[in-house]
Amino acid sequence: MKRLKDGLNFVLPKGRLMKDSLKLLGKLGIVDTIPEGRELVYEGDNFTILLAKSFDVPVYVEHGVDIGIAGSDVVEELESDVFIPLELPFGICRLSVAVLKGSELDVRSMEGFKIATKYPNLTLKFFNSLNVDVEILRLSGSIELAPRIGIADAIVDIVKTGRTLRSNGLVEIHKIMDVSAFLIVNRISQKTKFERINAFVNGVKELIKSGWEC
Amino acid sequence: MKKDIFSESERLAFLSSKFREMFDLWGYREIFLPTVENLNERLRKGIKLVHNGEIYVVKPDLTSQILANYKDDDKTIRIFYISEVLNSDIKGMLQAGIEFIGGKEREMWVEVLSIVITSLDHVGLKEFYLDIGSLKVWKDATEDIGGFREEVFLALKRRNFGIIEELPIDDEKKEELWKLFNFRGKKSGFEDLDFLIEALKDERVFLDLGTMRLLNYYDDMVFEAYAPGFGFPIGGGGDYIVNGKKGVGFAFYLNNLVNLCEFNEVNEDDRIELSGDLIERYERARDLVRRGIAIKPM
Repeated sequence: MKRLKDGLNFVLPKGRLMKDSLKLLGKLGIVDTIPEGRELVYEGDNFTILLAKSFDVPVYVEHGVDIGIAGSDVVEELESDVFIPLELPFGICRLSVAVLKGSELDVRSMEGFKIATKYPNLTLKFFNSLNVDVEILRLSGSIELAPRIGIADAIVDIVKTGRTLRSNGLVEIHKIMDVSAFLIVNRISQKTKFERINAFVNGVKELIKSGWEC
Repeated sequence: MKKDIFSESERLAFLSSKFREMFDLWGYREIFLPTVENLNERLRKGIKLVHNGEIYVVKPDLTSQILANYKDDDKTIRIFYISEVLNSDIKGMLQAGIEFIGGKEREMWVEVLSIVITSLDHVGLKEFYLDIGSLKVWKDATEDIGGFREEVFLALKRRNFGIIEELPIDDEKKEELWKLFNFRGKKSGFEDLDFLIEALKDERVFLDLGTMRLLNYYDDMVFEAYAPGFGFPIGGGGDYIVNGKKGVGFAFYLNNLVNLCEFNEVNEDDRIELSGDLIERYERARDLVRRGIAIKPM
């Protein structure tokens, strides 16, 4: 990786976690807004912020960006080799199995089902743990469409309120895991920027302890 | 465009030859291990392959392969290898490593870490550090809360002290674990670790009790080598017990190091250019290379 600034470098996810991530950095006096535009790198006096797709955040951190914020779903799916010093109090939702309304069944009876998902590894792990063989249809978005048009029997996806599922005629039948945002740290940065990273992590920890909510 | 595999290969070859030179200077002999081994519970990583009803492992982790092949009556051995490992993936990683088995524990550690330092200096890596940790320190510290050892090791792996904070153990214990968790320095109060710092006399070596390598064969001390600005370790190792004998080993990850080292191009001006007809040129070439003189490719 080309050298970024010697200060701390962050990578934040564009999308559902971006607003809360910025609120967190703002509360710690780092930055609370990023000028709108197409720039993917924002440089401050002693920090750099990169903006990336949520699934790419752990990849950037694995490859040398000091700190990132990513959903636990993404970190677990990619089995990223990063430190996870803190679970953050936002991005809370769940990874669940859903089927078309009226087709509800026990997940143990889904042998041979075709499952549409962005999470092939977590999905396979879950069904393997039940000793149920399923076929994975890997999609990168709008997963809910797949059962509606008949190219999959079920989906595994993130559920927050369940509204998106309902509006697409789907119903949640089983929660695989709880999901929240993780603060993730590059393994080598933790050594080379030991004091600064510990100070930052402790700052976030104190903020959470004080009852801060985004 | 395809990756320039030949250019990277040249750089990997440069690194390999430098490590080979250094390992040889320290008195280690090179070994070549089979690409395919019969499945054995001691083998780690690699890819499993079924052939004629038998299960095999292709390119397993090299330390585990050496341990699986080490015989009871083997004496003290100092060996090195330069080979590829399949980390449970079909794409391999090239590693250069050594194993020292059957020596005196402190001597083995000082020797192996000295080889790490001199080897990284030898390939011209400008800035690197070694962090040494200890599994034994953590095993001892969790002796009285043995039921939660797994959670403590998960906390270390993730560097997430919150996991320990939530355990139903007293505050004094948590404070003790917190201090270990965040210890990074030169004097730890643990005799064996402090001895290494004293013996190595190198400002780039640190004790970092948060450094963990949770491979099934490691027994006590472990270490990682890394370079600032590069997100992955460049090498690592640890000690283990094989057939009742202590061993210490490490591996450099050449595919990571190749991005960091400066490479001395061979000075082409030093090569002799040959002319004349084919028979003459190759006769002269045979004569020159027999005398150790480099020629320009014709």
